[in-house]
Amino acid sequence: MKKVFAVTLGILTAIGGFVDIGDLVTNALVGARFGMRLSWVVVLGVIGICLYADMSGRIVAVSGRPVFDLIRERLGRRTGLVALIASFLVTLLTLIAEIGGVALAFELASGVNYLLWAPLAALAVWLVIWRVKFSKLETVFGLMGLLLIVFAVALWKLGPDWGQLVHQATNPHPTGHETWATYAYYAIALFGAAMTPYEVFFFSSGGVEEKWTRRDLVTERSNVFIGFPLGGLLSLAIAGCAAVLYLPVGIQVETLGQVTLPVAVALGKLGLAIVLIGVFAATFGAALETSLSCGYTIAQYFGWQWGKFVRPRQASRFHLVMIICLLLAILTLMTMVDPVLVTEYSVVFAAMALPLTYLPILIIANDPDYLRDQVNGRVRNVLGLIYLGLLLVASIAAIPLMIITKAGR
Amino acid sequence: MTVAGKVLHAQLHLLNRQLIDQATGALLGKVDDIELDLQADPPVVSALISGRERIPALQVMEIDTAVKIVPGEVNLTRGDDWVERHIIDKIPGAGHAPE
Repeated sequence: MKKVFAVTLGILTAIGGFVDIGDLVTNALVGARFGMRLSWVVVLGVIGICLYADMSGRIVAVSGRPVFDLIRERLGRRTGLVALIASFLVTLLTLIAEIGGVALAFELASGVNYLLWAPLAALAVWLVIWRVKFSKLETVFGLMGLLLIVFAVALWKLGPDWGQLVHQATNPHPTGHETWATYAYYAIALFGAAMTPYEVFFFSSGGVEEKWTRRDLVTERSNVFIGFPLGGLLSLAIAGCAAVLYLPVGIQVETLGQVTLPVAVALGKLGLAIVLIGVFAATFGAALETSLSCGYTIAQYFGWQWGKFVRPRQASRFHLVMIICLLLAILTLMTMVDPVLVTEYSVVFAAMALPLTYLPILIIANDPDYLRDQVNGRVRNVLGLIYLGLLLVASIAAIPLMIITKAGR
Repeated sequence: MTVAGKVLHAQLHLLNRQLIDQATGALLGKVDDIELDLQADPPVVSALISGRERIPALQVMEIDTAVKIVPGEVNLTRGDDWVERHIIDKIPGAGHAPE
């Protein structure tokens, strides 16, 4: 049983990349508009994040250095600061959206407006960060988030024409009124979300929190190769449900209620209850992941003491950063901005942050001073370079496509 | 700078590295700059600079993927101490061990 719990860091990390509030809606929206025609992007994203999360995990296990240490060491103070600002803003915007997402899940369950829930959600996130042990937090929210597997059950229960879904997945191009521009925009949105930078910040810092050493390389690897593919699977199941229920009748997905509806249709009230708990756990888990990542990045850039492995007073600036971020989240949500829309704008900052995050990881993964015998082999380096190229293309194309397609509309 | 026969590249192996208290493992800051003694032949690194603090080379104990030092008189946690005293310590549970 201990072995099962040992992979929850990977699962919780993957939840932030594949099924956080922005992704829940994007996955369903993509399913409703393109069917399974963008599935290949999810597969591409899973391979990419596995590759780089494994590099960052190995670096932590062998040298004890988390990702943002490496970013500053290899990019220097100035470029490192650009990377810090860009990735911090992506993470903060996502955190704001997640707090809104937790509040929206409560609105769906209670009927009470999400604006009332938002401050409570932020307070709850802070309390968990302040008091709950890292390994407990990762186990509870990692496992609870897995309830989203109910989407896969619902898809099977809906009795779709599997041949049709496979046909869509193997014909990767837009159909109907959709243009190549919107198709490409959503491809980049899905790819960027799968490789969103706070995943490697959280995963590598989590490795330090768990006190990984060389002996934990197997744990590190199973976290990566179980966690992220599971996240990808959930993401495909959500798109599949929307492809079956909404695509044929041409309904657009815009709200969280529409994302969860296919489960209610397939599995009734019990299904709806499970999916709501799953959505709550996934958004709450992603809120923990992003708020901790806000603290990790800033503290690691400046060299401050960080981490939940010490008392809060010993890492006071780290905790202060997270408190300020959560307060900012409440204030932003009170302006009644749509939480789902907030994640769309984070794409702009992700575009800058992506290459600046992954280049230093690839360089250090080849440095025997850090990794000794665990340096990258040729296959990993070739794949790493290909993905760096893809990330660069995605980051250059993201903003123009966002403007041309008016953010996918 | 040579430590136990290892050749180190000051910019690559020192600048922007994490500073760690050798005794407690506490994270103390980053190496923001280095001070060279150009009178010596060959020139040697005489101190590391972090923020406004100067860490004499003698207090540098180990240079690996992080730089371990004996802080001694050098106070590198001023910012952290200020935040601790004025904000974090006022919140209940600030001193609780992480179980």
